[in-house]
Amino acid sequence: MITTSSKLFYGLGTLSFVGALVWVVAHDGSSLGSVALIFLAISLLFLGGIASYVRDGHVLSTDTAAHPSAPAAQSASGNSWWPLASALSLGMVVVGLISSPGIFKIGIALSIAMFGEWMITNWSDRASANAAYNEKVRGWVVHPLEIPIGGALLMTVIVLSFSRIMLSVSTVAGPLIFAVVGTVVLAGGSLVSVRRGVSKRLVGGACAVALVALTGVGLATALNGERHELVEASEYDHYAVHPCGEEAEEYDEEASRAVSAKSSIAATVIFKDGELYAEMDGFSEPLTSISLQRSYDLTILFRNESVGEHRMILNYGNVIEDLGGGVTRDSKLQACTALIGEGGQQAITVRIPKPSFASPLSPYNIVVSGIEDSSIEVSVP
Amino acid sequence: MSTVGTMKDRVAEPMKIMRRGRAALKTSLAVSALAFLASCARDAPQDTWQPAGPNAEQIDNLQRPVFYVAGVVGVIVFVAIGWAIWRYRDRGQAIPEQTHGKPVVEIVLTVIPALILLGVAIPTAGTIFKLAKTSDTEMTINVTGQQWWWEYDYPAVGSNEEQYGITAPIVTSGQLVIPENTKVLLRVTSRDVIHSYWIPKLNGKKDSVPGRVHLLRLEGAKPGIYAGQCTEFCGLSHSYMRMEAVVLSRADYDAWVANQLEAYTSPAAGTLAAEGEGVFIQQCSRCHQVNGLLNTDGTPIISAPDQYMVSGVAPNLTNLMTRNTFAGASWDLLTPECREDVWKSDSVTFGAKYLKGVTTDCLNQKDLREWLRNAPLKKPMYANPENLAATGGKYRGMPALGLTEDQINSIVAYLLERK
Repeated sequence: MITTSSKLFYGLGTLSFVGALVWVVAHDGSSLGSVALIFLAISLLFLGGIASYVRDGHVLSTDTAAHPSAPAAQSASGNSWWPLASALSLGMVVVGLISSPGIFKIGIALSIAMFGEWMITNWSDRASANAAYNEKVRGWVVHPLEIPIGGALLMTVIVLSFSRIMLSVSTVAGPLIFAVVGTVVLAGGSLVSVRRGVSKRLVGGACAVALVALTGVGLATALNGERHELVEASEYDHYAVHPCGEEAEEYDEEASRAVSAKSSIAATVIFKDGELYAEMDGFSEPLTSISLQRSYDLTILFRNESVGEHRMILNYGNVIEDLGGGVTRDSKLQACTALIGEGGQQAITVRIPKPSFASPLSPYNIVVSGIEDSSIEVSVP
Repeated sequence: MSTVGTMKDRVAEPMKIMRRGRAALKTSLAVSALAFLASCARDAPQDTWQPAGPNAEQIDNLQRPVFYVAGVVGVIVFVAIGWAIWRYRDRGQAIPEQTHGKPVVEIVLTVIPALILLGVAIPTAGTIFKLAKTSDTEMTINVTGQQWWWEYDYPAVGSNEEQYGITAPIVTSGQLVIPENTKVLLRVTSRDVIHSYWIPKLNGKKDSVPGRVHLLRLEGAKPGIYAGQCTEFCGLSHSYMRMEAVVLSRADYDAWVANQLEAYTSPAAGTLAAEGEGVFIQQCSRCHQVNGLLNTDGTPIISAPDQYMVSGVAPNLTNLMTRNTFAGASWDLLTPECREDVWKSDSVTFGAKYLKGVTTDCLNQKDLREWLRNAPLKKPMYANPENLAATGGKYRGMPALGLTEDQINSIVAYLLERK
């Protein structure tokens, strides 16, 4: 019997199967996506089978005697928190969309999990007229997912909390704390293993208290920030360096973190074996001369593939400032990356207001500081 | 009396229903006929059913069979629904036995659409990947949308320079000029809001998004002009944001490139055009760049549209009269007769006619002068100086400059020499 809800699962399963075939054709036989889609298809067909088997919990409309005891007529086991959890997850997606890719991804994952739980709970509440059996059915379906995922989340909380604590305390205290905590865990585990009569409730309670304490201290230290040596090191790398001189613009660190992740790269500048060249979408060959658009927020990615630390400098003309009293100042327009180590990369975002022929004495180009004989000519029409 | 009244009602009711049914049938037929006739345009410049290049042909090869299959399925479904409605209409009969599910029917009705969709999905995926191929690019052009016109920038790098003689960047607008049978790759982006680039006879559409560069293949099989239209609502004058792709033979294209790269020549002293050059420098060069135009001290005049325009640019007018359109391709620079002569010419004579550009006899004086008199009156733009608080005083489009008729005469004479 193909029931109403099983049609959904069968249809989605068939679609996944078709998608797997299309994937194979479109990707010249690549199997990764098709394996995922086939697994999805099997899962959906399996769910369709369950729905068919339990007939969606329905009885025939003509069998009026069976109506009161029909699964569909049973009330749900209690208030469900899944709609609220789903709404909060969707909220996290929206917040992540405008704030952080990490929050967005977590929101997506939580939304999928919460909607899944909601859907399965709704189904299992009316899988039969027997509430206990329904609970068991729900466990069969979701426990294989809930238990490992819950365990992974628990481990994540423990590792993150512990790492925040270790990044916060001094380099002297860190090893001591690690040793003490390790010893306590080892001793506690040994005691439990020796005294078999110890109650599960006591062990569980002790673990819960330890977890709460660890999470609380981890959260507090995360809010307090890393130890000052780490903060200073970070600031030295990213803010204390003024690569282009006092008059030059500093690179936009926010751009390298956020804009470059969402925007297309206008050009990727690569410094390799002492040579500088660029790669751009639409050009198959490496370029030593590139054309950039005027009055446009360009994101340029610099990648250092040479030994040592190097910095990219984009020269884009000069600007004459009126300082008043007939005094003017001619300043070079530059945008620079920080010193980038071998294998590292950084994006800068820059808007070039004037065409390159506006500055005949100050050609537009991209260079690497300290390297005289290699540059990329930049044309801005 | 009441019995007679009841009898009359019994007779009148079906008659009324029949009359209503006939009226509804006539209306439906009339609407269907109108819709059918509306689709019969013979000379539709943006007709997706008349591909003029390999990319558009690939789309056409896909959409035709899909359209036929969808049509057949549509007819079957509508006939089946109509038959079911008529056959099982309520005539006061008893409710038939209620059953739940019919596995054979359901399986058949699931499998058949799945097979049809599979048959459509496989060639669709293949076409998508073919249209996304860029490794065989022969020419690259930057296409940048802004409210409400398209800028074309031909970079003087790579194969553009080596194979097509573009030794210095060419910047133009309104009309994209490409050589025939050449795989052109457009790098499409935007300076303000999201637009969408579409020349239906040459390929599908591609969104132009600020901060992103999207790639679109374009190839014209024979010389001619192919019209397009921005297909993403982008503000007040979205409907005036048009574009045309001009395909030239290789020889004609080389001539076009050579002309674009020619050095600027000032109008002869004492002419109306020379007077217009002065007015242009005073009034227009703040936003519009004309390459080669010099200050009295010999330094190049550099426009500064970034100070006046939200988008930061205005069309480069260096070779305005080599184009056939202006103001976002909304109006022709050619008179209707001259325009028709160019558009209707065969592929052999087209290039020569196009390369003539806009002559004095063919100039569409009316629209150009109206534009110079009061541009926002002709094309709706956010160009009222009193309403620019939200943009920090910057315009979205050309403001009314308050030019006198003498100034307009001189500017027109000057622009006529921009070839």
